[in-house]
Amino acid sequence: MGDLLGFVLSGLVSGALYALLATGLVLSSSASGLFNFAHGATAYLCALAFHELHSGFGWPAVPTALLLVCGGAPALGWGLDRLMFRKLAGVGETAQIVATIGLLVALPAAGLWLVELLERMGAPVQPAENQFGLPGVGPSPAVSWQPLDGVGIDSDQLITWIATALVAAGLWILLRRTRLGLELRASVDDRELTGLRGIDADRLSSIAWMLSSGLAGLAGVLATPLLGLSAHDYTLFLFVSATAAVLGRFVSVPLAFAGGLGLGVLQNLVAGYASFTDDITGLRTAVPFLVLFAGLVVLVRRRRGAGTAAADPPPADHLAGRGRARRWGAWSAAAVLLGAAFYTVTTPFWSGILAQGLAIGIVFMSFTVVTGLGAMVSLAQATFVTGAALVAGLLISHGWPFAAAAAAGTAAAALLGALVALPALRLGGRSLALATLALAFLADQVLFQIGWLRNGDTGWELPRPVAGPVDLGDDRALGLALVLLSAALVALLTRLRGSRWGRAALAVRSAPEAAAASGVSVVRTKLLLFTVSAGLAGFGGVLHASYNTRITATDFTAMTGLVWLAVVVAAGVRRPQFAVVAGLVFAVVPHLMAQYVTESAHLPVILFGLAGLALANDPDGYCAALPSRRAARRAAARAAGTGRTPPEPGRQEPPLPDRQAPPAPAGQAPRAPARRDPPEGARQDPPATAPDAPRKAPPGPRRPEELRAPGAGAAPAAPYPAACAARAAAPGPGGGVRGDGVSDGQPHALELAGVHAGYAGAPVLRGVDLAVRGGEVVLLLGPNGAGKSTLCRVAAGLLRPTGGLVRVRGEDAGRDGAVARARRGVRLAPEGRGIFAGLSVEENLALQLAAADDRDAVYARFPALAARRPVPAGALSGGEQQLLALAPLLQRPPAVLVADEPSLGLAPRVVEEVFRLLTELRDQGTALVLAEERAAEALGVADTVACLAQGEVVWSGPRSEADRDRLAEAYLGTGVRR
Amino acid sequence: MPRPSRAVAAVFALLLATACNSASGGGGTPSSVRGVTADTVKVGGIVSMTTASGYSKKDTDLGARARYDRANAEGGINGRRIEYLGAEDDGQDPSRNLAAARKLVQQEKVFAVSPMSSVTFAGADFLDSQKVPTVGWGTLPSFCGPRHIYGFNGCLVPTPGGTLNQTWPESLASVLGGARGRSVALIAGDNDAGKFGIRTFTQGFKAAGFQVPYAKAVVPATSMPSDWSAYTKEILRSGPGGGAPDAVISVMQTPYNIGLFTALKRSGYRGILSDPTDYDPGLLAKDATKQALDGVYVLLQFQPFESDGPAMRQFKEDVKKAAGGRDVPLNMHMMTGYMSADLFLSIAERAGEDLTVESFQKAADGFSDTGTLVGDRAEPKGQKESFGCGALVRLKDGRYEVAVPFRCHPPIPFG
Repeated sequence: MGDLLGFVLSGLVSGALYALLATGLVLSSSASGLFNFAHGATAYLCALAFHELHSGFGWPAVPTALLLVCGGAPALGWGLDRLMFRKLAGVGETAQIVATIGLLVALPAAGLWLVELLERMGAPVQPAENQFGLPGVGPSPAVSWQPLDGVGIDSDQLITWIATALVAAGLWILLRRTRLGLELRASVDDRELTGLRGIDADRLSSIAWMLSSGLAGLAGVLATPLLGLSAHDYTLFLFVSATAAVLGRFVSVPLAFAGGLGLGVLQNLVAGYASFTDDITGLRTAVPFLVLFAGLVVLVRRRRGAGTAAADPPPADHLAGRGRARRWGAWSAAAVLLGAAFYTVTTPFWSGILAQGLAIGIVFMSFTVVTGLGAMVSLAQATFVTGAALVAGLLISHGWPFAAAAAAGTAAAALLGALVALPALRLGGRSLALATLALAFLADQVLFQIGWLRNGDTGWELPRPVAGPVDLGDDRALGLALVLLSAALVALLTRLRGSRWGRAALAVRSAPEAAAASGVSVVRTKLLLFTVSAGLAGFGGVLHASYNTRITATDFTAMTGLVWLAVVVAAGVRRPQFAVVAGLVFAVVPHLMAQYVTESAHLPVILFGLAGLALANDPDGYCAALPSRRAARRAAARAAGTGRTPPEPGRQEPPLPDRQAPPAPAGQAPRAPARRDPPEGARQDPPATAPDAPRKAPPGPRRPEELRAPGAGAAPAAPYPAACAARAAAPGPGGGVRGDGVSDGQPHALELAGVHAGYAGAPVLRGVDLAVRGGEVVLLLGPNGAGKSTLCRVAAGLLRPTGGLVRVRGEDAGRDGAVARARRGVRLAPEGRGIFAGLSVEENLALQLAAADDRDAVYARFPALAARRPVPAGALSGGEQQLLALAPLLQRPPAVLVADEPSLGLAPRVVEEVFRLLTELRDQGTALVLAEERAAEALGVADTVACLAQGEVVWSGPRSEADRDRLAEAYLGTGVRR
Repeated sequence: MPRPSRAVAAVFALLLATACNSASGGGGTPSSVRGVTADTVKVGGIVSMTTASGYSKKDTDLGARARYDRANAEGGINGRRIEYLGAEDDGQDPSRNLAAARKLVQQEKVFAVSPMSSVTFAGADFLDSQKVPTVGWGTLPSFCGPRHIYGFNGCLVPTPGGTLNQTWPESLASVLGGARGRSVALIAGDNDAGKFGIRTFTQGFKAAGFQVPYAKAVVPATSMPSDWSAYTKEILRSGPGGGAPDAVISVMQTPYNIGLFTALKRSGYRGILSDPTDYDPGLLAKDATKQALDGVYVLLQFQPFESDGPAMRQFKEDVKKAAGGRDVPLNMHMMTGYMSADLFLSIAERAGEDLTVESFQKAADGFSDTGTLVGDRAEPKGQKESFGCGALVRLKDGRYEVAVPFRCHPPIPFG
C-alpha cells in the first residue's frame, strides 16, 4: 500500500512534463484546428538554443530561459503562423498535417545548421551531439529530497511541476476569464463569425501560435536535463503527451493537464505492478500508445463524416475531355526513356538509386489509394511495408519461392491494414492520423519485437527474384522491371479510380451520408480502401526489401511513415503517377544535393521541411501544380489574343475576371443564346463615380469547356427573369441607387454599385446596384440561387467583389475584409444562426457587449436568455438562438445590419417576434438589408423591395408598388401559403 | 511539345546529364583491381554523424584519419599511399547506409570500407557481394559471418553455437573479490535487443559463478522514465533475503543509466553499479553526469586511455596530429575509427605487394597478432566471436581510473 501511494505521488510529479506538452498541443489545436506534429521539434529547438546560450555562450540560466520562453519561442510561433499556418488554414487537413510533419524534421535541422554556421564563424558554441546530463534552469546536479518514504523528488522535477501548474492556471484564467481568451475560444468555435463580429481571427491565430510555441519552449527548457538534445526523443515524448491532449479532447486545458499527470501515474503503476507484461516484449514501452489509441477510439466525438479528412475539392483537370494520347503521352514517353536509360546512359550507382526510387514509388502509390482516393491520412504505411517484408523474408527462409512469399507478404499487409482500419474507421482527420500513428508505434514496439518474426537484428534475407532468363539481381534489370510494374500499377489504379468502386470511394470521400443513401456502404468502402492500400504498401515493401536484399525490423519505423507521407503529399497524392515521381525524387534528390549543392547534411532536410510552405500555394502538390499552372498561363495567353479570360484551373486563387468581359455565369450554358440582357430600363443608371464602363455579359454562346458545371440552384430559375423583366418595365422611383450615392444630402448607410462577385471563377452577382439608408429596410427577394446570400457576403465583406463599388456611409469600402467592414458598423446576421454554439449565452453576449450593464439590460429584456446564461448557445432552441443573435444588436444598434434569411427554420410565432425586433432596430436608425424567401411576412417590414434574379436586380421599388399577390406568385411560387 | 512532357523531359535531361557526368567522373585507374593503383589504395568510410537522436559517432572519422595519416607518413602499405576519402554520413538511416555503400563502391570505386560504424548496416549484403573488405565496429550481426566484413575487435554479437565474451563478469568478480555468493541485478530496455542482452549476460554472469536474482528487460525503450522509483524498488528487494543485490548492471544507453543510477543512489544503494556504454571523457565535463556516474564501473573492450604503453602513446599522438595539433578529448569513437583502420592496414600489409581482394582475404585467413589496443587479434575467429579482451574503468572524483586492467579472458560457449 505504501508502494502504491509512492507510485501515485511520484507519478504525479513525473507527469508534469506530459501535462505541459499536452497543454501546448491543446492550445495550438484549438487555435488553428490542427495537431501540431512539430510541437516537440519546437521544444527541441528551444532546448538547443538554451544549451548553446547557457553552456556555450555562458549566459545565466534563468534569464536565458525567460528570454527563450517569452521571446524566442513566441517569435518563432508568430513567424510560422504568418508564413505558413495562416495560409494553410483554408487548404484542408491533409496539407496541414503534412506541413507540420515537414516542420518536425526541418526545425531541428535548422537549429543544428545554425549551430554549424556559428561554429564556423568561431562562436563559442558547444557541440550538439552526445550531450548528456545537461543543466536546466535549476541547480545542476539536481538537489533531491525524500518528503515521504518511497517518494523522491528533485529540483528539476519540482521546477517543472511548479512551472507547469502555474502555466496551466494562467492559461485557464486567460481562456476563461479574459476577453482575449473569450475571443480565442470564439474563433475556434466559428472563425468566420468572429470576423463578422469585427474580431480579427488572424490576429488571434497568431497569438495562439505564440502562446503554444512559448509553451513548447518552456517544455524544451525544462526537459533539457531529462531528454538532453535528442530531437527524436522530444518528438516521441510529444506523441506520448498527445495521449493527455486526447483525454482533454483537444479543447480542455484542465483535462489535458490532469491527463498528463494521470499518464505519469499510469506509467508508474504499470512499471510497478504489471508484471504480466514481462512476457510480451515491448508492451510496457507501448503503454502510452495503447492509451492514446484507446483514448482516440473512445473519446473522440464524431464531427465530420467518419474517416474522412476535410473534403478538399479536387483541382480542375485541365486535360478533361482530351484524348488518351494527350493525357498519357508524356508519361509513357518518360517511362520509355527511363527504361531505356537503364541500359544506355545511367551508371551502376544511378541505376541502383533509380531502381530504389521506383520501388519506394510503389509504396508511395498506397498513399494515392488511402489518402488520395479515400481522403484518410494514414501514418501506418511503414508498418505495412515492414510487416509484409518480414513475412516474405520469413517464408523465403523456409524455402518458399519469391513470388509466393511476396504474395503472402502482401496478403499479410492487407490483413494488417484491415485490422488497423476496423477501429480507426469511425475517426476522422487528425484523430485518424493519430490513431494510425499510435498503431504504427504499437507495431514497432510490440509486433515487430516478436523474435520469430524479426529474427533479431539480423532480419531476413530477401534475395532478388530470378525467373528463367530474367535475373533481377542486376540493378538495370530490376529497374526496368520496376518501370513496367509501376506502369501496370498506375494503369490499374487509374482504372480503379474510374470504376464503380472508385466512384463509390470518391462519393464516400466527399459526402458519406449521401453515399450511404445511394446504397454505398461507407464502412465497406473505407475498409477496402485501407486494405488495398496496405496491400499495395506491403507489395512495394517486399520489392524495396529485395532491392536491399534484406529486411530488418528497424528498416522502416513509424517515423519513416511520417516522412513518406510528407514526400508524397508534396508531390501530389491524387494520381498514382505522381507517387512514382515522388519516389524518384525521394531517392535521387538527396544525392544530387550532396553532389552539386551542399555538403551540409542539414540543408536538404530544411528544404524538404519547407515543402509545406509550397503546399499553402499548391495544396495538390507540385506534380499537379506544374502542368496546371502552365495550362492556365497558356490559356491566359490565348485569352489575351481573343480578349477573353477563361477561368483558372487552380482552385486556390480565383482570378479577378476581366472587368470588361466577365466570364459566363454558372449554369447558363444551355440557355445562353436564349437569355437576354435585361432591358436597359431595369438597370438604374450606373453611378457617375464608378470607374468602370457599363458591364454587360459578353454576347453570343460560349465554348462549353469554358463553362463551369451548372449550379444546383440555378435550374428552377428559368421563369423568373421573364417575370422580373415584366415588372421592371415600370421601375419605381425610390429605394434604388442614386448615381451620386447620396440622397437627401445624407450618404447612404450602405451602397453597392455595379457589384460583380462569385466563387472560383464562377460569377454569381453580375452588376448589382443596391442602396440603403439609415432607418430603412430593403427587402431582398429572389428564388434560391438568385445570389441573395452572395450579396449578403459581399455586403459583409466576406467576399470581395470582382468589380463594382461598395460604399459604407459614403466611403469606399470595397477593399475591406469582414473585420474592417464590421468595424465600419456593417453587421451580417448569417444564414442559420449567428451565434457561437460552443460558448455559453453569457459569453456570446460578452463578445459583443463588453459592459456588464449592457448585458444586464439584455437579460432584463429577454428573461428567456437570462434563465439560460451558463448554457452553451448550441443547446438553445432555434428561436432562442436567433434572439441571442439579435439581442446585442438591439442593445448597441449597428449602422447597417445585413440579415440573411433571419426567419429560416423558425416557427411562425418566432418569425413574427424576429421581424418585430428587426423593425425596432430600424426604428433606432439601423439600415437593414433583409434577404428573405418568406416574402409575406417580410414585406410587412420592408420600405423598399429589390428583386434579385440570376445575380441581377431586375426590379426594385417602394413596397407600395410591389403588388403583393403578383410578387408572391411570380417570385416565390408556392413559397407563401395563405 | 505538350507542357507536362516538357517538364518531364527536362527532369530526365537533368537525370541523364547527371548520370553521364558521374560516368565520366569515375574511372582513370590503370589497375584492374578496384581502387588500387600502382601507388595508392582508395578507402572510404561510413559513419553515423548527424542523427535526430543527438547521438553521433563522427569522431570515428578522425580516429581513422589519424591512423591512415601515420601509415602514409610511414610510406604507405607496401609502397601504396592510402587515399582515405573520409566517412560518408549515413544519419543512422538504413537506406542512406546502403546508398553510402553503393556510392563508395560504384561511384568512388574504393578498394575497402574502413571504418564502418553505425547503428544500422543495411549496406552489408551489398558490400559483401561486391567483395569489398570492410572493417568496423562489430555491434551488429552483419559483422558475424559475411566473408569480407570484419569487426575491429571481433564480432560482438553472440550467436548460438558461438561463444560469449566473459570480460564483464570476470572483471566484476575481481572487483567484488570473487563471484561466489555474489548477486547481480541485470536491467535492460523493453525491446528485443534488451531481451537479447539480458539473455546473454544472464548466461555469462551465471557461468562466472554469480547469482542473478533479477534480470529484466522492462524499461520503456522509447520514452525514458522521469521517475525510476518503480524499478529501483523492485531491484533493491531482489537480492538474497529481500535485500539489495551486490551489483546492478545496466545494459542501456547513457541517458537511461544516468536516471537509473541517480535514483538508485538516492534510494541509498551502496553496491556496485556498472554499464558498458559510459566511457566517454565528455561526460566528465558536466557536473550532473559526473555526479550521476560517480563510482560506476564501465566496461570497455579496448585499452583504456588512462593506461600507458607505446601503442596508447602512439594513438594519442596520431589523434592529436590529425586534429591539427589540438588536444581533443578522446572518446571511444576515435578508438573505433583508429583500430578499424589499423586492422585493415595490418591485413593489407600482409597481403603483400599484389593487393587484390583475393590476396587481402587470403592474408586475413589466419591473420593474428598480439598486444594491440584491442588485445590479441585473430581472423577468421574475429568473424565469429569477440577477441574477448576488455577492461573495467571506474569514474571517481571526476576522472576515470582503471579498476581492472585490460586483458583477454577465455570465452564460454553461447547457447
